[in-house]
Amino acid sequence: MSTLFSALNASASALEAQRARMEVATSNIANSDSTRGANGQPYRRRDVVLSTQPADSFAAALGKTDAVGVKVTGIVEDQTPFRTRYEPSHPDADGQGFVAMPNVDVPEEMVNMLGAARAYQANLNAIGLIRDTMQRALDLGK
Amino acid sequence: MINIAAALPSLPAAGAAGATSPSAAPAAGFGDALHRMLSAVDSTAASANDAVTNMLQGTGDVHTAMIALQQAETAMQLTVQIRNKFVQAYQDVMRMSI
Amino acid sequence: MNDITDNAIMTALGRQMTKAVAREAVSAGNLANIDTPGYHAREATFNDALDEELGQTAATVTEVAGLPARRDGNNVQLDRELLTLSRASSDFSAAQTALAAKFRLVRYAINEGR
Repeated sequence: MSTLFSALNASASALEAQRARMEVATSNIANSDSTRGANGQPYRRRDVVLSTQPADSFAAALGKTDAVGVKVTGIVEDQTPFRTRYEPSHPDADGQGFVAMPNVDVPEEMVNMLGAARAYQANLNAIGLIRDTMQRALDLGK
Repeated sequence: MINIAAALPSLPAAGAAGATSPSAAPAAGFGDALHRMLSAVDSTAASANDAVTNMLQGTGDVHTAMIALQQAETAMQLTVQIRNKFVQAYQDVMRMSI
Repeated sequence: MNDITDNAIMTALGRQMTKAVAREAVSAGNLANIDTPGYHAREATFNDALDEELGQTAATVTEVAGLPARRDGNNVQLDRELLTLSRASSDFSAAQTALAAKFRLVRYAINEGR
């Protein structure tokens, strides 16, 4: 793989990964009060699992200048316990009047979203620079 | 691959015509030099083709291909210019009234 | 043919372009993996003396030492990678401009100023 093309592919894969992170963070925030999901349980916070693409051992990558991309390998549910809130009037409240709330921390999700947006922007920048370099290389033929 | 020597068949003939003139040695020398030059042009064109093929297959860099192409173009231009000069000189000599 | 194309300078410029491309690619890879847990920033290094000897440009990719890692073991710094990328891109542009000028010069001479 030509070096510049591999760089372009890597940046493109990163755009996809960061968009996935943003989508998951959005859905986490949107469901921060969903006390009943499809399985009757409160919504569980989701997390994106990222890994290098191709999933090379570092030793194999040594000496190769081809850019390493990133891949969303899965979206997992956060298994930390639900938060509880005292709200006896809530239809999902237990005997003591406590309601199990999703384990979503809204400020944390906002921070994640900001990080993803910043990384997205940076990768977009990288694509621009790589494209410029390619264009300059082609300009040699003029 | 571009076979430049084959594309310019008039050149060896011109050299042969020059060989009938009294000063045979310089004409043969020039023909020889031109021949070597053409094969050099040929090999730069071949390596440019290789570089472009690599670029298309994604194994080579874009700038490597572009540099190779530029080298091939420059070598070709030089050879053509020298050929033009030689043909012009040859015609000048032929037109000369003794 | 070497004298005409001024081989040494042309080769050096070509090598700078290859180096810039390698640095750009490694940086793009780092930037892509800014949120991959356990990923360590890499950089491309070159052995100029050896390259000169072999007449090629071979890069070695190694992990960058001394960068503080975050909680997830990742130590990619966004600003650093963006800086490396733009610097490599400028290096490439500079070499490309010089090389293009060089070719123009040679061709100008060949075509007698046309």
